[in-house]
Amino acid sequence: MSDDWRSSPPAMDYSVDELMVTVLADQFHDGDQACNGMASFIPVAAFMLARATHAPELVWLASSVGLEPRPKRIPASTLEAPLWRDSVMYLEQYSDFWTYVLNGRWIGKFCVGAAQLDQYGNANNSVIGTDYHAPKVRLPGTAGLADLCSIGKQLYYWNPNHSPRSLVARVDFISGAGYLDGGDARERLGLGGGPQIVVSNLAVMDFHPDSKRMRLKSVHPGHTVEEVQAATGFELLLSEDGAPETQVPTQAQVRLIRDVIDPDGMRKRDLRRR
Amino acid sequence: MKDKVATLEQAVALVSDGDVVALQNMATQAAPMALVRELIRQRKRGIGLVVLVGGMAVDWLATAGVIDRLIGAAVTMEQFGLCQQYRRAVEGGRVRVEELSESLLNARLGAGARNLPFLPTRGALGTDLIALNPDNLQLIEDPFGGDTVLACRALVPDVALVHAHRADRYGNVQYEPTAIWPDIAIMPKAAKRVLVTVEEIVDTDVLRRNPDRTILPGFTVDAVVEVPYGAHPTSFFPNYGYDAVFHRRWTEVARDDARAKDFIDRYVLAPINQQEYLHAAGGAAALQRIADWEEGA
Repeated sequence: MSDDWRSSPPAMDYSVDELMVTVLADQFHDGDQACNGMASFIPVAAFMLARATHAPELVWLASSVGLEPRPKRIPASTLEAPLWRDSVMYLEQYSDFWTYVLNGRWIGKFCVGAAQLDQYGNANNSVIGTDYHAPKVRLPGTAGLADLCSIGKQLYYWNPNHSPRSLVARVDFISGAGYLDGGDARERLGLGGGPQIVVSNLAVMDFHPDSKRMRLKSVHPGHTVEEVQAATGFELLLSEDGAPETQVPTQAQVRLIRDVIDPDGMRKRDLRRR
Repeated sequence: MKDKVATLEQAVALVSDGDVVALQNMATQAAPMALVRELIRQRKRGIGLVVLVGGMAVDWLATAGVIDRLIGAAVTMEQFGLCQQYRRAVEGGRVRVEELSESLLNARLGAGARNLPFLPTRGALGTDLIALNPDNLQLIEDPFGGDTVLACRALVPDVALVHAHRADRYGNVQYEPTAIWPDIAIMPKAAKRVLVTVEEIVDTDVLRRNPDRTILPGFTVDAVVEVPYGAHPTSFFPNYGYDAVFHRRWTEVARDDARAKDFIDRYVLAPINQQEYLHAAGGAAALQRIADWEEGA
């Protein structure tokens, strides 16, 4: 694999999906173990990019099934066999996958996509509306999210459609626990880990160490703090050093994403579909 | 050993109205669709469906009015979007959802399989799933002095519906190396009756060549039916991939109740057997398309 990624100059013609991929890839390092769920093109691209550049020893469980797979490129589904092509091991979900995940020692980081995310990093993929049994919108459901959010994992949210509808003051239903009501609420329940960052199509956010409220970390080039705030359904905290520009992908990173990892542009589906 | 070979009609006759029926399915993967179509043809009613991640099968069962409740972790056709007929049925109050995370469903089925009152997990702590479901989920203290855990009550489905690669006449079921979801690893062991469709029924000697691939012993199985392409249009690796064309055909009509019912008439009720169904679904061209899944990838 090409090794010019480190010294490669900033890309001039990157797209926002590629920026989201590189920001997310930076969060994964040698020695980490990562798994992906369904409809997770941007996280999968990030894992593959990290493995091709700075983190060749990032362990990846494709679709939470295939250990260390060698997909030819990102296929049309992140939950079907083409993604776990050439795996070293198939993990049987009941007795292998959930054993490793529920045991705090392994698979410490997880990427989360959520229909609603609130200011304390709680996630909702269950229902829109306040009456659970007569919802305005029945969403897919929590799947494994409720588990992954409660068992000490570091959570990395991606949101390709930053809007007041997807970033809300309070989720209608907690299908994945973030910092709950903020402060030490999560800790008091005995839950380790928690939300780390949120990568959207406009900005990168993190969480204040004490209040656990979401705050602006960096704004993507071409966007402003005001624009990001207007697209958010609650007041974002601002860091003391303001909001710098998000670091853009390098030319080598963009080439890898476009030519090797995802030549069919599956990562762009995440943006269209929400 | 007892001969378990049956027809689809005979197998599904073992399902009664009102039963809790556990369905193998992971979004666009591995659903026993021939059994699902037979449930619709026999006009079963009041079925409670247990499913890890349901896909088109759940949409069809909702359209046909077979199910009135669902116990599961998610329902979605992944790249093909939400299951619109199921979604409407839930929003309209016709299907009631008991939503569980994957570890909670695994714990409920695991307790059912081992005849325990419950199994504990640390999953889902802090979520709204717990307060919603006091009948089946209760926080309990660790009797050995550790942290609070979530007790998940045993779930014993009346029937489990499974599709597998091969079985012998006696219901010993074999799987090729592929993704193994809890649907096959634990769910059938919790159910009172197990109905299996297989791509082929083989001589027992064939199973003896790879006993490590036998994943259900015949004594757990009540009926085995040979149904080639029995998971179509979902994928069944390594034999075939999902049928993207057929999934899109369904998603084009699923937002419209009348067109969705027409679709069920045409693809579920009209074909009298698997050959007719496959012919209606696209025939040889469709089978070629799904056989080439690795090329398309």
